Amino acid sequence: MENDGRRNFLGICLGGLATLAAAAVSFPVFRYLAPRSSKVTNGKVTILEKDMPEGEAKFFEFAGSSAVLVRKRGGELTALSAVCTHLGCIVQWEKDKQDFLCPCHAGRFTPEGVVISGPPPKALTKIPFVVTNGTITVG
Amino acid sequence: MKPLKYLYDWIDVRIGARDIVEKELTGYLLPRNINVWYSMGSILLVIFSLQVLTGILLLIHFVPDADKAFTSVSNITNNVPFGWLIHTCHAVGSNMMVLVLLLHMLSVLFMGSYKRPRELNWLTGFTLFTLVQGICLTGYLLPWSQLSFWATTVATNSVNAIPVVGSFLVEFLRGGKLVGPATLGRFFALHVAVIPVAIAALVGAHLFLLQRTGVSTPPFGIKDSSNPWKGDTYRYEEHPGGIPFFPNYMLDDLRSISIYLACFLGVVFFAPHVFFPATAFLPANPYLTPAHIKPEWYFLANYQTLKIFPSEIIGLAIQGAAMTFLALLPFIDRGAEKHPLKRPVFMVCAIGGLLLWIGLTIWGHYS
Ligand code: HEM
Ligand code: FES
Repeated sequence: MENDGRRNFLGICLGGLATLAAAAVSFPVFRYLAPRSSKVTNGKVTILEKDMPEGEAKFFEFAGSSAVLVRKRGGELTALSAVCTHLGCIVQWEKDKQDFLCPCHAGRFTPEGVVISGPPPKALTKIPFVVTNGTITVG
Repeated sequence: MKPLKYLYDWIDVRIGARDIVEKELTGYLLPRNINVWYSMGSILLVIFSLQVLTGILLLIHFVPDADKAFTSVSNITNNVPFGWLIHTCHAVGSNMMVLVLLLHMLSVLFMGSYKRPRELNWLTGFTLFTLVQGICLTGYLLPWSQLSFWATTVATNSVNAIPVVGSFLVEFLRGGKLVGPATLGRFFALHVAVIPVAIAALVGAHLFLLQRTGVSTPPFGIKDSSNPWKGDTYRYEEHPGGIPFFPNYMLDDLRSISIYLACFLGVVFFAPHVFFPATAFLPANPYLTPAHIKPEWYFLANYQTLKIFPSEIIGLAIQGAAMTFLALLPFIDRGAEKHPLKRPVFMVCAIGGLLLWIGLTIWGHYS
């Protein structure tokens, strides 16, 4: 009986040590595999206003994801996430139709990101931006 | 514990798990005078698994391209979190594997376990030895440092001494006249695909043979240390009244493995630079041979042998003869006695050979 007690105690100690060892191995391996947070330069992207003619869209990387800046005919600017709200494909700008088409399942959005047709459940996310002295700062 | 027992029962009634455990673990009896040297094989299994694991992790960031290999390795060691740890474990582990492999071989030699009926264990083991050397050699090139590049140049060059086909063989090995991007491609394939699979298969064969012959009885602490094998029919070497493998010897194995891991981590954390000379940190430059290019410690004896003889072919032939002799040892040394002290000729040859090897290694290091 006394032996059983000792045996259990040693077993528990051994189990504890094994758990510690497993944790000591898992942590570095997890850190090694974990995605690195992309080096975001204060999270802002600047684009010159003269690079944004009417009826054109410009795609760029923003906060580790894809975004688009579009200037409608008439001059109004909008910044949107370019990630389709359906299953995450990247939308394309259709200059002739002046709308966004998601090539995956033919979702359509207006230049403001509102859904026109297709499976996307909601509008593209808007991104704030400011214009100062001919420079557009997104973010 | 209830659900675990339920699960065990569930599996047992289907595939007879208790039968296997009874036969291969608790009922698998080992000789009472078994010693710590019998744990070397288990340590080698652990090392090989660790090499595979760290190797897969390195593959995630390594780029096998002559222009990018060196920077990709620097990236692993300098930028990726804990990349230095994975990389050091892999590099130190390869050296430890050769070291433990040599200890395993030596213990098998001195205890006479290579003798019949275990010739096939020895042959598969010997093939494993050459494969491990091969995986070390091919892995050494991958970081594409000055050290890798020139050590590989020298190592592949020695094949040149083989008459008639030598120069063709060197070119074939390198995939070109000189070591270059083509060499990296083929060494990479060998290192991560061909040789590891071959090693795994041979380890399987090695263990299968062990399972069929049964573990040998160590020649120490018993009156009659001669080989019990009769050779008339197949007989599994049983050890009635012996030590159960599970849990008794497995705990012994675990203790040996823990001691090994302590030594291994000691080197990884406190002396990793034993295995990284300065040239390991310079990118390969095919136009600039650094001074004092030396192979890794376990090839120093081969390197020195090639240097001693005025003609390379003699140096190479001697090494080939020594390796062939070692490979065929169970067929040459056919005596029944297994105790080393009762085998004077063997002892003189073994210790002489060992001292010669150590001497050549030290000479090679300082020459
Ligand atoms: C990757 C390399 C190797 C692995 C993983 C390995 C593994 C093992 C294991 C687990 C055992 C049973 C336990 C023991 O006696 O240690 C064993 C036995 C044996 N090994 Fe190896 N081995 C390797 C290389 C070698 C080499 C290089 C040789 C010799 C040239 C060799 C010769 C033998 C022999 C003769 C036995 C039978 C020993 C006996 O029954 O007493 N092995 N090996
Ligand atoms: S992912 Fe865009 S429509 Fe399906």
